[in-house]
Amino acid sequence: MKEFNFEEYNDSIHNLGRLFLTITFTMIIGAPFLIAKMLGAQIDWPAFFKAITAVLIVYIPSCIVEYLIYVPLLGSGASYLAFITGNITNLKLPCAFASRDMAKVEVGTDENEIISTLSVATSSLVTMLVIFVGVLCLIPLTPVLNNPVIKPAFDNVLPALFGALAYQYFKKSLLITLPPLSFMVLLCVIVPAMINSTSFLLIACGGIAIGLAWILFKNKILK
Amino acid sequence: MSYLDKANSFSLYLIVGIILTFVAFVCVVFIIKSYKAGLRLGMDKKVLRKAITSSASFTLLPSVSILLGVIALSGSLGVPISWLRLSVIGNLQYEATVANIVAEQMGTKLDSSLLTLNSLVTIMLTMTIGIIWGGLLSIFTLKPYSKKLRTITTKNTDTSTKKSSFAPWAMTAMMIGLCSTFIGSYMATGIVKGNYTPIISACVSALFMALFERLSKIKVLAFLDSFALALSMLMGMCTAIVLELL
Repeated sequence: MKEFNFEEYNDSIHNLGRLFLTITFTMIIGAPFLIAKMLGAQIDWPAFFKAITAVLIVYIPSCIVEYLIYVPLLGSGASYLAFITGNITNLKLPCAFASRDMAKVEVGTDENEIISTLSVATSSLVTMLVIFVGVLCLIPLTPVLNNPVIKPAFDNVLPALFGALAYQYFKKSLLITLPPLSFMVLLCVIVPAMINSTSFLLIACGGIAIGLAWILFKNKILK
Repeated sequence: MSYLDKANSFSLYLIVGIILTFVAFVCVVFIIKSYKAGLRLGMDKKVLRKAITSSASFTLLPSVSILLGVIALSGSLGVPISWLRLSVIGNLQYEATVANIVAEQMGTKLDSSLLTLNSLVTIMLTMTIGIIWGGLLSIFTLKPYSKKLRTITTKNTDTSTKKSSFAPWAMTAMMIGLCSTFIGSYMATGIVKGNYTPIISACVSALFMALFERLSKIKVLAFLDSFALALSMLMGMCTAIVLELL
């Protein structure tokens, strides 16, 4: 039997990972166009460009930081899978860590590559399976979900989401929280039209918070 | 056919089904390849199997939480698109924020009675383009990056963590900025328009988050940690129903 060469295995993982990512991205980028054609809808390009500008300003830095941090922790195979299936911070990373601890392997070793890949792949499959079963149960419930009585619940998904997230993040540093929050409330009270401009204002609030964090970090108030 | 009927139509399920079947196939290929490589590397078969079974059991509870996210988004985007977005490079916080940004740019709200099919496909495209960058970086740079890391790791395993000490604070500050924007707008909505439903829903959600966080520290209730966000959201959303009925 030919001796096992881990570098060869790694190269094949890179080739497959690139190929699968390319195919997946082609499909998910193509899907909105295909759906638009099937439903007789049109993409609103001016709204798309305005929205994507705001989204990219906020999310490109975090995408890059996440990439730089997650790849060393997960290894190659698991990283390709994680960047296809998402839910990295809340699921894939803790899952890979738990498996790594169970298998008693170290970050950066060949064994960690294997365990992380097995872990993230299994986790992705199980998630898809659970959501699939859930969606099967949801289909007959669609008329209930569309009932006007529960419509206010769906109209308040964002307040409910940001309420829970705000509790988690605000308590980490009130010094960073108070200036952007006060700025946002004051601005929207003085200029009420700004209430519906969160996409623009989140760049300003994010900028204030990051700038403040940097000053506090440099002055060793944040450690 | 209403907007939601079309957003939940069979053809959309079919497209989403094809994409997710492919993603499942990718996972199976990686499991087979890494399992075989593990054996040839001399790893114990029991350890490899345990990694698979423990990952499967670890994932069950958080997956239910992701399913609750699909339910939360399905009220405005329909089930198939919410399902796809939370299964391929998505997460609830990102998808909900981006959907709201696009709806705002189209002069509407994330509300099924106001959204149109044009909004739906524009939201879907923006969600996708906004989040693919980590994956794109992987296609073009993961191979040289991981090779460099393997060289560095053999010299010093702590190098990467020492260099990025501001990174966690930058991420935290960005999330604080994001939450401040939305919470601030809900507070102003109450003050200016007299509509207190969003801010009360947010406060109830935050209170339940605090409660679940405290309860999850009790050993027998540790499982609540996986559900804290989804359950808190559901409590906040239910509050909105009660407030509308009052």
